[in-house]
Amino acid sequence: MKHFTKMALAATVAAGLCTSAAADIYAPNLSYRTGPFAATGIPLMNGQKDYFTMINERDGGIGGVKIEFDECETGYSTEKGVECYEKTKGRAVVTQPWSTGITLQVLPKTNVDMIPILAPGYGFSPMADGKVFQWAFNAPGSYWDAASMILKFISQDNLDNLKGKKIAFLHLDHPFGKEPLPFLEAKAAQHGFELLPIPVGLKEMQNQSAQWLQIRRERPDYVIMWGWGAMNAGAITEAVKTKFPMENFIGTWWSGHDADLKIVGEDGKGYKSISFSRPMLDAAIQADIKKYVVDAGKSQSNPEEMSGVFYNRGLVISMILAEGIKAAQDHFKVGEINAEQLRWGLENLNVTEERLAELGMTGMVAPFKTSCSDHTGHSGGWVLEWDGKAFVEASDHLTPDSASIQPLEVEKAAEYAAANAPWPINEECK
Amino acid sequence: MLHDIFIAPFQDMFSAPDFLLQVLWEGLVSGILYALIALGFVLIFRSSRIFNFAQGIMVVFAALTLVGLHAMGVPAWICVLLTLGVMFVLAMAIERVVLRPLVGQPDIILFMATIGITLFLIGFGEIIFGGENKVMITEELGIPTGSWTLEPFGGLLILEQKDVTAVVVAALLVIGLLVFLSRTQMGRAIRALGDDSQAALSVGISLHTIWVLVWFIAGIIALVTGIAWGARAGVSFALEVIAYKALPVLMLGGLESIAGAIIGGLMIGLLEKLFEIYWGQPLMGGNTETWFAFVLALLVLLFRPQGLFGEKIIERV
Amino acid sequence: MLYRTAGQYKTSYASDQAVFPVRQDAILLGIILLLAWVIFPLTASEFTFQTLLIPILIYSLAALGLNVLTGYAGQLSLGTAAFMGVGAYACYKMVTLMPWLNPLVAILLSGAFSAGIGVAFGIPSLRIKGFYLAIATLAAQFFLVWLFEKWGWLYNYNSSGAIQVPNLTMFGVYVAGPQASTIVQYYVVLVVVSLLTWVTINLTRGTLGRTWKATRDMDFAAELIGINLMRSKLTAFAISSYIVGVAGALFVFMWRGAAEPNLFDIPLSFRILFIAIIGGLGSIMGNYLGAILIVGLPVMLNTVPEALGIHIDSATVEHLNIMIVGSLIIFFLIIEPHGLARLWALIREKLVIWPFPH
Repeated sequence: MKHFTKMALAATVAAGLCTSAAADIYAPNLSYRTGPFAATGIPLMNGQKDYFTMINERDGGIGGVKIEFDECETGYSTEKGVECYEKTKGRAVVTQPWSTGITLQVLPKTNVDMIPILAPGYGFSPMADGKVFQWAFNAPGSYWDAASMILKFISQDNLDNLKGKKIAFLHLDHPFGKEPLPFLEAKAAQHGFELLPIPVGLKEMQNQSAQWLQIRRERPDYVIMWGWGAMNAGAITEAVKTKFPMENFIGTWWSGHDADLKIVGEDGKGYKSISFSRPMLDAAIQADIKKYVVDAGKSQSNPEEMSGVFYNRGLVISMILAEGIKAAQDHFKVGEINAEQLRWGLENLNVTEERLAELGMTGMVAPFKTSCSDHTGHSGGWVLEWDGKAFVEASDHLTPDSASIQPLEVEKAAEYAAANAPWPINEECK
Repeated sequence: MLHDIFIAPFQDMFSAPDFLLQVLWEGLVSGILYALIALGFVLIFRSSRIFNFAQGIMVVFAALTLVGLHAMGVPAWICVLLTLGVMFVLAMAIERVVLRPLVGQPDIILFMATIGITLFLIGFGEIIFGGENKVMITEELGIPTGSWTLEPFGGLLILEQKDVTAVVVAALLVIGLLVFLSRTQMGRAIRALGDDSQAALSVGISLHTIWVLVWFIAGIIALVTGIAWGARAGVSFALEVIAYKALPVLMLGGLESIAGAIIGGLMIGLLEKLFEIYWGQPLMGGNTETWFAFVLALLVLLFRPQGLFGEKIIERV
Repeated sequence: MLYRTAGQYKTSYASDQAVFPVRQDAILLGIILLLAWVIFPLTASEFTFQTLLIPILIYSLAALGLNVLTGYAGQLSLGTAAFMGVGAYACYKMVTLMPWLNPLVAILLSGAFSAGIGVAFGIPSLRIKGFYLAIATLAAQFFLVWLFEKWGWLYNYNSSGAIQVPNLTMFGVYVAGPQASTIVQYYVVLVVVSLLTWVTINLTRGTLGRTWKATRDMDFAAELIGINLMRSKLTAFAISSYIVGVAGALFVFMWRGAAEPNLFDIPLSFRILFIAIIGGLGSIMGNYLGAILIVGLPVMLNTVPEALGIHIDSATVEHLNIMIVGSLIIFFLIIEPHGLARLWALIREKLVIWPFPH
């Protein structure tokens, strides 16, 4: 009985894999529309999907080749993530893992399977070192970029102003939340401010009173938050409750979701979040999305969500992938590019102001450029502030302090490569 | 080291008494909510020997139904009634489809079945309501949202009005439940079933009716918990994990004791908050709330196997 | 006809007590082993290895470990995943501290650590029983996962707090880490799982197994006939945790390649408990049947709509999937509370007398 079941399973699986046609470029997305993180996942996934639907409807794909943008649901579970990766890797030109846990898991495999990972604004910060992480991309910004920009912003561009100050770092107790710690610790030592890491357990995301009591006791000057999913809403309501001054509370780009702030509404006024993208509701692309996707009934989104930060960030993320595909097509002069060619494309992204204008996305992301040694691009970003109803811009364009981030990236990337020896290094790259 | 463990925390407590009061208040509020969930467990366990793991998801489901109905434009208080209706239908369905065919099976099988129910409700709930974090309709239900700021010892003590409401409502619910169990025929039937099911059946108490009833009461408790907790941090499926918090309460208080659930819940709420603030955060890197209650309950049971309030004999497998 | 036992006479007690009293059982096992050892590796795709074969074997092993404790010795545990974590972290520390260590040896040794911790958390079982014990094992579950998170030494103080499996070789072949090929990993898993299954079958049939069963069925009675309950329960915790720990090491080293602490959180424990219960408590084969159902089914369900050419949104598929798994658990509990192993035993009984039922 055991083997019959197994054979039946194998047969079904095999049948399932063979039915889809391979005429398009297959770009799967390991989405999470379920589970405790779904709240932040859904708008991002909708934005990503709508962008490619629009490209396919309006332009007939990229370079005349349709993009088959498919979702594989992970529920933010690494186990499902690996299943999705294995399921899609046969045809996929890219893998978009959408969780630091899944990224860590797939990262070593992509070297062997030769599939680029695209993790815009998340994953592992040292992925920026393209010599070591040949197949991984986290354009346009890494977590260390975000941390650096936040420090710059709160110190009015001079980190020495932070001397003697106390900064609480409220983070999810998970690889994602710990990601900026090495950078923040280095900066704290260098500029003489006190860093107080406060972890929030996965089970305590909605019950953070202990963490906020600690904040009240320690009286930090600033709270920096690395939150995700249900943790954001929990932290923001607690901050309101304990009367922490909102203007000194600043989150990473995944902690700036409109729906989380709507829970507190006016009380959340002054809360800030760094962001590599901006919602530009009058950008030309919005009209096209409306015309080709929304009016055609092909969107799962709604107007409220579509005006938010996360949906628009989803658009930007898909744009980065689409630009990578286009760069590869132009360079290799083929329509149906493969994974290896896309790697070249993502390594040679050049998103300029003009290109953004052509795409109708002026201002939605800052111009950036990748190279074989820089897989991040370090576009910088803006600080967005909650005005009680929506996120509005609260700073000029900020750039990360790449001079101090880069050595750390190289160091940590080398550490990773050493721990995973033998690890292939791209020696050709200067 | 010893100074950090035995002296410094108490110095902290006395040097900032207003803060200590705030910690105790926070502990009290979470303790009340743990007690409520534990109460749901105890009621079902007493009457049917089922360790109902689905209590956590029932909280989420009730809260989502309430918010979902309101989003469809139904007035708030009618939503509450409709949600109670939904919980009743759910209780009937569980009794009919799951429990009735499993009567008399070993406890662990019934326990597994409730995990099956949990999975089913997660999938079902996400299809119907979607996975987004939703805002609890606190104001629409007439729950005050402001806060009172007191200044004991020249310090600062913030009492959220919705927390106060939660405490008051929970207390009323518990009193109501105790009155129901001791003064009404139905309530006595529930207790009879818990004390001796064979004897209860032989005097004509209907097992099926009682089961639907206790599951419905567990549903009401779930709705109250859902409103109280949802008002604090929004309603999403992440709320489901609070069910785990009720388990050490049950260990301490005993699976069958209503008083145990209440006192155990309050104790755990207070102690875990005190431990986290004064020992966990300074000495152990924080986040000790995930395990403190379990370890505490374990230690208590090692020295007092019958629990704090349990019956003398714990001989159940 | 296929399963006729006529003509197979038992002439001694030894033959009556054999592992395979009926010849067909041995043949069937032979076929299964042939499939697992030869046919599958020759035919399976990378996807099948990664999402079905390897995880099913590892989950079966973990369920086997739990089954020793819950099914044979009657001690309900909800902390399985944490003990898997102990095995995985122990293995990680061993291979990073002693890179010369043979990976297979490291995996088999790592179980010893979780056995030790298992015994420590098993001590409350001497005082408390039933659901109280189950909740007590949750203390292990939550405390250990917290420890994996907080104790930097365990993950070599790396910044993400996750462990990453390095490339490990055995006799010049990569067996773990990104460079290892799936088929090699499959064979390593298969060797370990077969070995431990064989050992467990023998253990459960021997003195120790009978002691456990006596403890499970009635502890007073067991004590009266001279069984040392403490030793019986603690050996069950030790051996169960050993197997679970090895399963944990395999889980991370042979399958996942990386692990963060919350991987070993309670959903994994429940998953393994499901496998053990749906498979059948107190049965060895049940673990495999359970794992095929619980691990294999969702993978299969995911491919069904695609295979039928229906396009459903993958999130909806996932939701339906959870609902179906939940309903199936209830369904199987209702039709056969003693699990798939009992179901197979019933089918086998029918087959023995088929086609002449009397």
